[in-house]
Amino acid sequence: MQKILVWDWPVRLGHWLMVGGFALAWLTGDSESLRLVHVAAGTTVIAVAAFRLLWGFAGTRHARFAAFVRGPAAVRRYLTSLLRLEPETHVGHNPAGGWAILALLGLALLTGLAGWATYEEIGGHWLEELHEGLAATMLTVVIVHVAGVVSGSLAHGENLVRAMFTGRKEGAPEQAIPSARPLAALLLLVWVAAAGWWMLN
Amino acid sequence: MKTLTALALLLVAAAGHAETPQAITRQYADAAPAGFVPAARRGEALFRQNFAINDKMPSCTACHTDHPKNPGRHAVTGKTIRPLAVVANGERFSDPAKVEKWFGRNCREVVGRACTPGEKADFVAYMNEVR
Repeated sequence: MQKILVWDWPVRLGHWLMVGGFALAWLTGDSESLRLVHVAAGTTVIAVAAFRLLWGFAGTRHARFAAFVRGPAAVRRYLTSLLRLEPETHVGHNPAGGWAILALLGLALLTGLAGWATYEEIGGHWLEELHEGLAATMLTVVIVHVAGVVSGSLAHGENLVRAMFTGRKEGAPEQAIPSARPLAALLLLVWVAAAGWWMLN
Repeated sequence: MKTLTALALLLVAAAGHAETPQAITRQYADAAPAGFVPAARRGEALFRQNFAINDKMPSCTACHTDHPKNPGRHAVTGKTIRPLAVVANGERFSDPAKVEKWFGRNCREVVGRACTPGEKADFVAYMNEVR
């Protein structure tokens, strides 16, 4: 086992853009003077989630949904192994992490769309309530996800937060991805900026 | 017919307590110190007061214009805000939870602190009575 490249640039950049966008959107949610900051942050969240959905089919090996989305039995097995402090090894996302990703992507899109509809005054007061309920649900899943990352890091003896920065994890050389796909990450940046520009104009 | 009436009442109840502005004024007045009597005049003064806490939104009128009967304009986004005055917008001050939520947000940001129950009672009274 050695350090190999597992997460490509779009996965890492998208992850941290999502973190920043959601945190900023959460913090500015109640403010009218920061309304445009909130809208820009929310637009970042939607744009990143939409990109990640496509990247789940067109991305590198460990970024693809087919590589990490598993059924409930696999999730139960992984969580049991984690509780026994003998966690199953997954070079990419573990099955529980895979569910967190799906939940967070779905909630990011739904929360963002409900917020967008509220901002454009499509629908009514109920959309505003829905937007807030979805955001609170998303924060809950974020907390569960972070708890999972911390416990997984401790159980595996591998810093998974650092891996989301460097892209490198413990694994066999044949499981490494050949390229970090920097151009696709640039495309992600342009896409997020374009979405923000379009929303604010 | 009876069934329809019952159903209609049930729907109104399920839609989250629909209340009259008077009832909401009374609820806030009840939470104020004993002997408090709501006054639209004080509500108007609050509406017009320049708190100067927030550069973009120094007063309620920054977004809601000089008269609550007018549609407002969001000082940051430029989006239209429906009138605050009940006479111009019958939906205003009919949902206690919504009223409390927006007092919470806007008082903190424009007044710079939470509004007191008495101030809220005065404000709702003004918006209900202004013609």
